[in-house]
Amino acid sequence: MTNMSSNILEKLRILSDAAKYDASCSSSGSKRANLTKGLGNSDGMGICHSYTEDGRCVSLLKILFTNHCIYDCAYCVSRRSNDVKRAAFTVEDVIDLTINFYRRNYIEGLFLSSGIFKNADYTMERLVRVARELRLLHNFNGYIHVKAIPGASPELLHEAGLYADRLSVNIEIPSESSLQKVAPEKNYSDIIAPMNYLRSEKEKYADEKPHIKSAPLFMPGGQSTQLIVGASPENDWDILQLANSLYQKQKLKRVYYSGYVPIATDNRVPDLSAPPLVRENRIYQADWLLRFYGFSVDEILDKNNPDLDLEIDPKLGYALRHPDKFPVDINRADYEMVLRVPGIGVKSAKKIISSRRHQHLHIDHLQKIGVVLKRARYFISCHGLVVKPGNFQTENIRRAIIASDRAPAAAQLGLFG
Amino acid sequence: MIGRPPRRNLDCLGSGMVFIYDGSYEGLLSCIFVIFKERLIPVAINQEDTYQFTLLDSPRTIVTNEDWALRVIKGIDERTQAHASALVYKLFLSELPLSEMLVYQVILAIMQKGDASILENFADPHILKAAQIEKMIHREVHRMHAFVRFQKSRDGLFYSAIDPDFNVLPLIGDHFERRYADQSWLIFDARRHYGLSYDQHKLAFVSVDHPVFVQSGLLLGLDAAAQGNAPHVFQDEREKEYQLLWKNYFQAVNITERNNTKLHLRHMPRRYWKYLTEKGVSRL
Repeated sequence: MTNMSSNILEKLRILSDAAKYDASCSSSGSKRANLTKGLGNSDGMGICHSYTEDGRCVSLLKILFTNHCIYDCAYCVSRRSNDVKRAAFTVEDVIDLTINFYRRNYIEGLFLSSGIFKNADYTMERLVRVARELRLLHNFNGYIHVKAIPGASPELLHEAGLYADRLSVNIEIPSESSLQKVAPEKNYSDIIAPMNYLRSEKEKYADEKPHIKSAPLFMPGGQSTQLIVGASPENDWDILQLANSLYQKQKLKRVYYSGYVPIATDNRVPDLSAPPLVRENRIYQADWLLRFYGFSVDEILDKNNPDLDLEIDPKLGYALRHPDKFPVDINRADYEMVLRVPGIGVKSAKKIISSRRHQHLHIDHLQKIGVVLKRARYFISCHGLVVKPGNFQTENIRRAIIASDRAPAAAQLGLFG
Repeated sequence: MIGRPPRRNLDCLGSGMVFIYDGSYEGLLSCIFVIFKERLIPVAINQEDTYQFTLLDSPRTIVTNEDWALRVIKGIDERTQAHASALVYKLFLSELPLSEMLVYQVILAIMQKGDASILENFADPHILKAAQIEKMIHREVHRMHAFVRFQKSRDGLFYSAIDPDFNVLPLIGDHFERRYADQSWLIFDARRHYGLSYDQHKLAFVSVDHPVFVQSGLLLGLDAAAQGNAPHVFQDEREKEYQLLWKNYFQAVNITERNNTKLHLRHMPRRYWKYLTEKGVSRL
């Protein structure tokens, strides 16, 4: 192997290793057609091309441009005071890797983040140049996710929006006071300012679009951010309220949650023995309820219950706290209420609504449609179901469902069984 | 498993008939054309090369007729706004046991109902089964979108081998054509021994006598070629370098503190590994 390629190999190792703590992997939600016989497209549905041994999706070439950084954030592996090997790509390196990985169908596109070298604009300018050259010189229509560097000038952010499908600024620490403790050089207003700017630019283009046919795409995949869970004392209620406000006010497409991985001992952050993966998972479930199931934060958590139950999912938790709303009549209830039944997801709920127009649904139909009956049976009324009315003892149900979750799954029925 | 009898003909002559077709989609549709035209009740529809005679069957071989096949497609699409013919084709491509009968049963249900609304009744066992198979096919198509790994040849052809659970090669061409409009590529189904190629102008199915298979070694030492050990003269000189970069990337982005083998295997079952560059053995 040539010297040049072993040099790239070393850079790629360092700069992908440093980027992996960013949980965002989405390559969906952006439509970019390949109209001029160029390379690549985004058709709205992301593709996970591979999965690492930790079970996470590999969709994008996720790298830092550099891990040199002027900041010293305690939670970050690339912080100034951390003794790690440093490297930096050139614009050409990143473009060559992206295009050659893409042509081999390894990836959906590029996720480009960076440590801050010199200052925000100096860094942002390089990220923008990669995106611009991929689009304009190489006719590349694959997915591009670029970090918006807090403090970068509006001109650069605007240009990034013209070439990238998605931009993101990571909040990382879910309250400003905690952020001050672990990242004294950062503050919330510097992080929120680019989010608000990008939101208003995107809306400007969206307003123009119906009138000007040639209006360019601006950040079609929207914005996202990441919150670290477990590196600071915020409870789940704090985290979900922050996420909800980001969805409402900054119109974010996604908030990612990353269970804190103790990356190096720094006495400003806790020394956990393992990342809080169950908690992270429950927060994702709650986030799903906010976005797809029509729940509000206050229905999921409140002052008296500020943390999610680690033993049961938040939808089951809601049902157990609201026995007055159940059982739900499968053949009559509104879609919104059918969707609130534990064990019934969006797809099953839609199938129930469409099938019951043709015939009265029986418990056997529900099972075949894909309803998880070992959960749902306590919360529905339906022909063929043997649960006595008035037998809604929440503590018993809770225990029964936890026990059945732990039991080994029954063998799957054959397709033509 | 017997479909519900056609309402209009309960005293039909050919009850309990077994039909044989040549294994092509048009052949299956030709069978179905005859079944409807002559108002018959099939008990089984089988491919001629896998069919085994038994004493109780009274098999009837149907010769493929493209006009008949087209008339069946037209009949379905007129009643369902073109949605159902795609569904029926996917059922056929599933190659599952009894899938031919399911094709018949779904078409029968559409003809009896007269419109597409029957396809939303998941309480009907045939419709539900069809929807389940369609979902499995979609998942396999999605997996192929994800798991195809191209390698570059010396003359710029990007080639790949796959071994999908179902015969989904006819369903994935559009995606790769849209995405790789400016490169020539070829995807070879190693189990079913045919390929799909794109020359930057049009898609074409290619059979194993295509010269590229000989040059690439795809047929000679199939696994070796597919895993990146194509003859030196065939492979692009930088191909191995990018494979190595990709493998290193794949290793570097894993967070060992979070290892979760069960999840890893659920998303990427072992049977797909043999053609995945990042899961192959190192060769440098």
